[in-house]
Amino acid sequence: MQQQLALQDVTIDFGDGPLLKNVNLAVAPGESVVLIGPSGLGKSVVLKLFAGLLKPTSGKVLVEGKDLHALPAHEQSALQLRMGMLFQKNALFDSLSVGENIAFPMREKTSLDETEIQRQVDFFLEAVGIAYAAALFPDEISGGMQKRLGIARALALRPQIVFYDDPTAGLDPITSRRIIELIQKLREEQNSTIVTVTNDMARAYQLADRIVMVADGELIITGGKAQTLANKDPRVSQFIRGKLDGPLTGRHA
Amino acid sequence: MLKPLLNVIDDIGECLIFLRLILRTAYRSPCTWESICEQTWKVSVQSTPTTALAGFFVGAIMTVQFTMQTKAFGALGYLGGLSTSATVREVGPLLIAFLLSGKVGAYTSAELGTMRVTEQIDAIRCLGANPIQEIILPRFLGIVISSFFLLAAGLIMSIFGGMLMGSVFSGINPEEYVRHIPTIVTQFSIGNGLFKCLVFALILASVCTYKGYSATGGAKGVGRAVVGTAVMTMVGIVVFDWFTSLLSETALNLFREGV
Repeated sequence: MQQQLALQDVTIDFGDGPLLKNVNLAVAPGESVVLIGPSGLGKSVVLKLFAGLLKPTSGKVLVEGKDLHALPAHEQSALQLRMGMLFQKNALFDSLSVGENIAFPMREKTSLDETEIQRQVDFFLEAVGIAYAAALFPDEISGGMQKRLGIARALALRPQIVFYDDPTAGLDPITSRRIIELIQKLREEQNSTIVTVTNDMARAYQLADRIVMVADGELIITGGKAQTLANKDPRVSQFIRGKLDGPLTGRHA
Repeated sequence: MLKPLLNVIDDIGECLIFLRLILRTAYRSPCTWESICEQTWKVSVQSTPTTALAGFFVGAIMTVQFTMQTKAFGALGYLGGLSTSATVREVGPLLIAFLLSGKVGAYTSAELGTMRVTEQIDAIRCLGANPIQEIILPRFLGIVISSFFLLAAGLIMSIFGGMLMGSVFSGINPEEYVRHIPTIVTQFSIGNGLFKCLVFALILASVCTYKGYSATGGAKGVGRAVVGTAVMTMVGIVVFDWFTSLLSETALNLFREGV
């Protein structure tokens, strides 16, 4: 399989035992992978490993075939420009307005003039449906709008690979559905590869080509919706059905 | 007993490594002049009123303290020179450093700490930018540059404070007060004051950016970063005040022997 992203025998340990142990995962170009699993067991860590924000204790993180952490800083930075990330709590720049948040990566990393940047900002604001809030600051807009802004900023440099860390956390079901539809629409438009963390199974099925469960330091690759539902692993079965009793009980962080 | 000491040594080591990273970034990929000017302006505006007020009263205190001694030796005319010299050489830089530590140091470490725990710094990296270049370097240089402006502001106000107190308390008119300032405040005194100011500003700028940048663990972590900044800068400034005083006295003695 052609790989755009890969973890090869990756172990990560923050000092109290390995969170992930010799895990392997490959993501093909244009694929949508959804990571599910109990809280605190490493879903966001997988995203941060791919994004180059965390370094594995051992093993390799490959992005477009290149070992991300073996690259010199400028090459790593160039590769990061091909990736975008929506953070769990959005990580919006609170001293910048909504419009300036989207303009930030363009001002920093492109040679576009201000007119073109403004045109791009308007385009992205329109695409995520918050054009009327351009002059407001992040703390002046709702949680759903903040998510939309986070998505717009993640996509501002038109990355080929996009990571979404819990894009529907704390949102009502209707807004959640709209956000997932927006992600899908933007994915089709940009033809991008996406890796999403969510524990909302309805949204996971809606979005995923492949579902991967993170538990016990392992990555359990379950496949699409049908394969996931039919998966025999008791941990997967317990998690997707939300059963109180089972092998995962007591392991939540 | 040993563990806290090792932690302190570890913290100092980490801070020095962080300073090296800042200086390397300044050399290899400097930030824009606009961002440095913005931060310098911000720090200066933030701290000028308190520095000026404190400078005014330092001048007044020095005048009150020196009046008795100068009167006893019949040297009241030297009051302005002595008071200003003490402010330039010692009290001014120390006072500016303490004020900046309490105000700008705490503000900067809280601001950077919040950016760290809300993942804004990670977001900057994810957008292909270098957080040291984008947010640390301008703040670092802003604090260092503005400390010189603030020293000048504090000094001018201390002369005013001294003059006022001199005429009210010591019965010395303003012209007489300033007459001996150039005699006693030598180039060496000014150089000494500027050197101390630079050293203190470097300590403050390194510690507050390091503590904020390395904050972890939500609001509690930000609180820890602010407290850590206050403690580390105060102790660092006092220790380096002693060290720079020793150094400048040695340099002065060597200079005199040479002459």
